[in-house]
Amino acid sequence: MNKHADAFTDCHPAVAFFYFLTVILISMFMSHPVLLSISFLGAACYAIRLKGWRKILRFNLLYTLPAMVIVAFMNPAFNHYGVTFLFYLKSGPVTLEALVYGVVLASMLFIAILWFSCYNEVMTTDKFVYLFGRVIPALSLVLSMVFRFVPRFGAQLKVIRNGQKAVGRDFSNGNLFQKLRYGITILSILITWALENAIETSDSMRARGYGLKGRSAFSIFRFDSRDLKASLMLLLLLGISGVGFASGTAFAQYNPVIKIGGLPLTWQSAVTYLAWALFCFFPFIMGVWEDAVFRRLEAKASMERKLPWYMAE
Amino acid sequence: MECIKVENFSFKYPGEEKPALINIQMSVEEGSFVVLCGKSGCGKSTLLRQMKSELSPHGEMRGTICYMGKKLEEVGHREQSQGIGYVLQNPDNQIVTDKVWHELAFGLESLGYDTPTIRLRVAEMASYFGIQEWFLKSVTELSGGQKQLLNLASVMAMHPDLLILDEPTSQLDPIAASDFLETVRKINRDIGTTVIITEHRLEDVIPWADQVYMMDEGRIIARGNPEEIGRALKEMKHDMFLAMPTPMQIYAGVESTLDCPLTVSQGRRWLKRELVGMEAPLIRQGSENSMLDLSPVGKQEKDKEVPEIRLKDVWFRYEKNLPDVVKGLNMDVKKGEIFAMVGGNGTGKSTSMSLIARIRFPYRGKIYLEGKEIGKYSDEELYHGFLGVMPQNPQSLFVKKTVREDLYEMIDGKREKTSKAYPIDMKKADAIQGIAALTKLEKLMDRHPYDLSGGEQQRLALAKVLLLRPRILLMDEPTKGIDNHYKQELGEILRTLARHGVTILLISHDVEFCAQYADRIGLFFQGNLVSCKDARSFFAGNNFYTTAANRMARAWFPDAVTVSDVIEAVGSWKRGEG
Repeated sequence: MNKHADAFTDCHPAVAFFYFLTVILISMFMSHPVLLSISFLGAACYAIRLKGWRKILRFNLLYTLPAMVIVAFMNPAFNHYGVTFLFYLKSGPVTLEALVYGVVLASMLFIAILWFSCYNEVMTTDKFVYLFGRVIPALSLVLSMVFRFVPRFGAQLKVIRNGQKAVGRDFSNGNLFQKLRYGITILSILITWALENAIETSDSMRARGYGLKGRSAFSIFRFDSRDLKASLMLLLLLGISGVGFASGTAFAQYNPVIKIGGLPLTWQSAVTYLAWALFCFFPFIMGVWEDAVFRRLEAKASMERKLPWYMAE
Repeated sequence: MECIKVENFSFKYPGEEKPALINIQMSVEEGSFVVLCGKSGCGKSTLLRQMKSELSPHGEMRGTICYMGKKLEEVGHREQSQGIGYVLQNPDNQIVTDKVWHELAFGLESLGYDTPTIRLRVAEMASYFGIQEWFLKSVTELSGGQKQLLNLASVMAMHPDLLILDEPTSQLDPIAASDFLETVRKINRDIGTTVIITEHRLEDVIPWADQVYMMDEGRIIARGNPEEIGRALKEMKHDMFLAMPTPMQIYAGVESTLDCPLTVSQGRRWLKRELVGMEAPLIRQGSENSMLDLSPVGKQEKDKEVPEIRLKDVWFRYEKNLPDVVKGLNMDVKKGEIFAMVGGNGTGKSTSMSLIARIRFPYRGKIYLEGKEIGKYSDEELYHGFLGVMPQNPQSLFVKKTVREDLYEMIDGKREKTSKAYPIDMKKADAIQGIAALTKLEKLMDRHPYDLSGGEQQRLALAKVLLLRPRILLMDEPTKGIDNHYKQELGEILRTLARHGVTILLISHDVEFCAQYADRIGLFFQGNLVSCKDARSFFAGNNFYTTAANRMARAWFPDAVTVSDVIEAVGSWKRGEG
């Protein structure tokens, strides 16, 4: 993948992990429509920035939207609370409240998925390994070995299947019974192979001193001053939003009547919305900001470049 | 001071009667480059493993091994991990973690260094070995050569005094292999690390060696600098010279009182002095011919004889958006010939072979086997009794616990009943007997397939494929990782098969092997055949892509391609002279 540089992606894994953890958790446990829309916009902008709008749009239209529609209609079909009756189905009355809550529920799901797609782009396996290696040092090596082993297993399976295919014994050949037998054979070859090779891997580990006391954990990540600033900023925004949420801005009720806190806008709710918006848009703004700085620098460099006389003309 | 000193060392594996190592004497000076050679299974690896306690196999041992003047048992795990670096054969198996940077730091982590120190060391190593560009990559994205270089770098990151390499290039292609060996030499020369290496590709390492130890059946039979070894072998008439670089082989076969040549250029000088008085033939016509010969390539003769394999304007790419790998390939292989496809990496050789094996499908063009289009064969017809494919990695065919059971597995078990894989009336035991005799597996029938050496595994895989009685045999890199003795045996088996009408199509980087055993050779370049000729005229016509024997002797005997050709030519000239 030719990923272009992104400021937030380059931040320390702890910052990114903390960010995604909080933003996903809050979005998942909140049913306030305004806050959810903000979260949605923030996630969408960042996802588009990371993966390109084409991919995001296609994925969402193909998978997320149908799933959302199903969830949105399932809820009113089975729940019949609320006071505003719309029409009757065989299973009972369909209410406006249940319908709205269905939509909110579906969009919560959708937003979480969107955030997770960003998470996957930013938190690569080595960052994950690094973070959890801090907590349990032995785990970082185990995880790293697992991430090494899984793709290897896949690659070897392909090699073995090709070898077996060429003697007519892949599980794409033959009838059902034969397919099953060939499949088991292939699996047994794969396992024998893996165990045999594991001996050499363990040799290589011991040869490089594995098992000595006092093993340390190296990483290429550094927590620099930008990471500090970013995390302070995030904490501040989170704090403001948190106070706002606690004071009733995040209140939303759909049963029996729809009641939504923080509306109409007061200065308190406005501040909360703003802080939450800044929080949700933080990665996106950070990226755009850095791009802008870079463009300005480029422009400056090209303006101030003194061209020699034969080129200036 | 001696880095490693081995005195009267003997070793016996538990349960074996014959000792694996007998009375080994070895003394390796600090900073020297030592090559250990011998046939597969002569005890080289066993000896190397004894030099690092963590890797030494269990068994009965006598004698001492000293590292830096101290008995090896008394040197702790920490000191050994740091001081003795060990690089094994298989590049993939040695890599432990998923990222290049993590792998580089692995040893240093074990030793418990703190992050700043590791950062510096890793940076140093990455710069020295030129790894910066792939420093952040996953190890799965690397090529075989890069992987082995990473293994070397991650060992060197611990700053060892002694570097032991056990056939490090056997799984690499020739270009990656000589790059790797070049790096090892650079380490030895620039940093002064002591190097002990075993290697099949002796032509690359022998000329650099300070000391060569020759082993046979667990004993050291000769030692000395390369020239001395050359002379000793000549006197002993030992068949070990087969494993030596070409100039040394030729030297061993010719009456000569001069010093033993080690490289091709030394070989030329030596021949010049040997052949004093012989007039070199005027400018060879070969090279000009080869330029003119380009036209018939790909032209398919309207012969009455139906070619066994025919590819017609075949195009292939892996994915819609990727470039073509095979571009309009035309190729004919005649019945009963050994056809070798040679050429660099990524020129489409393996891909073309997978098209013929019907593992992949061309998007344009046709492939005919015995005149019938490949798509019209059923799986049954194609893979049972017609087309045999030897995978590059023989282990991908091994299923059972013993060689015998593994062979029976191929023909659906021991019960005497005909099945799709075995439709003929012959008794199964006889068939297996015959195949085992052909592939020389008789003595190994009760061994576990994984306990066999590389060359033996190769032969077992071949035997399994042959049990399906193929008329066409496809082989991808059959000589990878096997030594010259096994190559010779494999070559003889292939010849026998070809005599019985089996058509053999093989891919090889091994120019020497192709020159000796192939009937015709096709050179691949950019997804197509650029030259296709019988082996002798192919190599005689090339200046670079040819055998070492030919490069050495082409000024006098342009048509001599193999070692025996040159020996014979020099011998007959001498006889004429004398």
